[in-house]
Amino acid sequence: MNKTTTGDADPVVAPAGAAPADGKGPAMSSERLAQFEDEVAKLKVTGGGVNPERLGAKWGIGLTIVGFVVAVIAWFSANGAGNMADINRSQIWAVIGVGISIVGIAMWVRNSITRYLRYWIIRLVYEQREQTEAIVKALKEK
Amino acid sequence: MTVPVLELSAIRAGYGRIDVLHGIDIALHGGEVFALLGPNGAGKSTTLAVACGAIVPSSGSLFLCGRDVTGCATDAVARAGVCLIPEGRGIFPNLTVGENLRMATFTGARYRDVVDRAFTQFPRLGERRRQTAGTLSGGEQQMLAMARALATDPAVLLIDELSMGLAPIIVEELYEHVRSIAASGLSILIVEQFAHEILGIADRAGIMLHGRLMHSGPPSSIADELAGAYLGGER
Repeated sequence: MNKTTTGDADPVVAPAGAAPADGKGPAMSSERLAQFEDEVAKLKVTGGGVNPERLGAKWGIGLTIVGFVVAVIAWFSANGAGNMADINRSQIWAVIGVGISIVGIAMWVRNSITRYLRYWIIRLVYEQREQTEAIVKALKEK
Repeated sequence: MTVPVLELSAIRAGYGRIDVLHGIDIALHGGEVFALLGPNGAGKSTTLAVACGAIVPSSGSLFLCGRDVTGCATDAVARAGVCLIPEGRGIFPNLTVGENLRMATFTGARYRDVVDRAFTQFPRLGERRRQTAGTLSGGEQQMLAMARALATDPAVLLIDELSMGLAPIIVEELYEHVRSIAASGLSILIVEQFAHEILGIADRAGIMLHGRLMHSGPPSSIADELAGAYLGGER
């Protein structure tokens, strides 16, 4: 293969082997090809291996823990505080911590449900396919 | 010198920690038909899964029109114009033919246009518009899968084992359709176990064995290598 790459982001591609330059295959319409190139240029490349729901659920768990830790620290801080200003400051931090935890829980629930529903619909499709095939087979046998 | 519309470069990929592909290089040019042949378990379907973005390679890159799109979401790659007809047809058996075609409107195409195009290319589907897809014959189901794919106006078509489980006469009819699709200038990467029909259509072909592309070139050169590859493994 005659491919050379000058870095990950900017590959220089040379055709490998015989291109359809042998004249056998008709060239794709240039309009469609240009449209395809435009669509490809718009693609967002994530870098691979990213599962948005799993990532979202992990972030949710992380935020919940961080929020809880912030709230606990604020509680201890308020306990040892000698004046109202410090207590107020700790209260604000506690509210922020609880808020972060709530956001984390919401993210975890949302992404977990999405993952579950995705698997559920795939299972449903496969089950329905098997059922239909069984019914068709039974009808043909009759 | 043209940039391939789809290119797999040094692809290693598999399922979990087990690699099935061990460094695959394939370049598909505009308007070209590339036939990927090989016995069961050679990694042909996995290659297509990488090409459509369904499997992210553990190393190597997927290029579309020269742009590295490795790791792009599968639906984004499909919307861009890379369409897979999976092994086993990939239709919704409990939906009617019309409802299956409606599923092809995800790209934003109008239902009427999708249906018109599908029924013009496959008139038999028009007669079975309200029939449940699962009750169609194997050949008609494959036609429906092709119609659904073509309705999205793809730039690159990936076809996995068109002939699977079908009678030779039906396979011949389906390959007539592939021939006319290829003549319209669509780029096609087609996977097959049985080479006879596809080598007559392909511009280039490759033989896969044990996750590696062992030979590639014009169909005439591949035909000589086929028997050895299937019967004797690596030579």
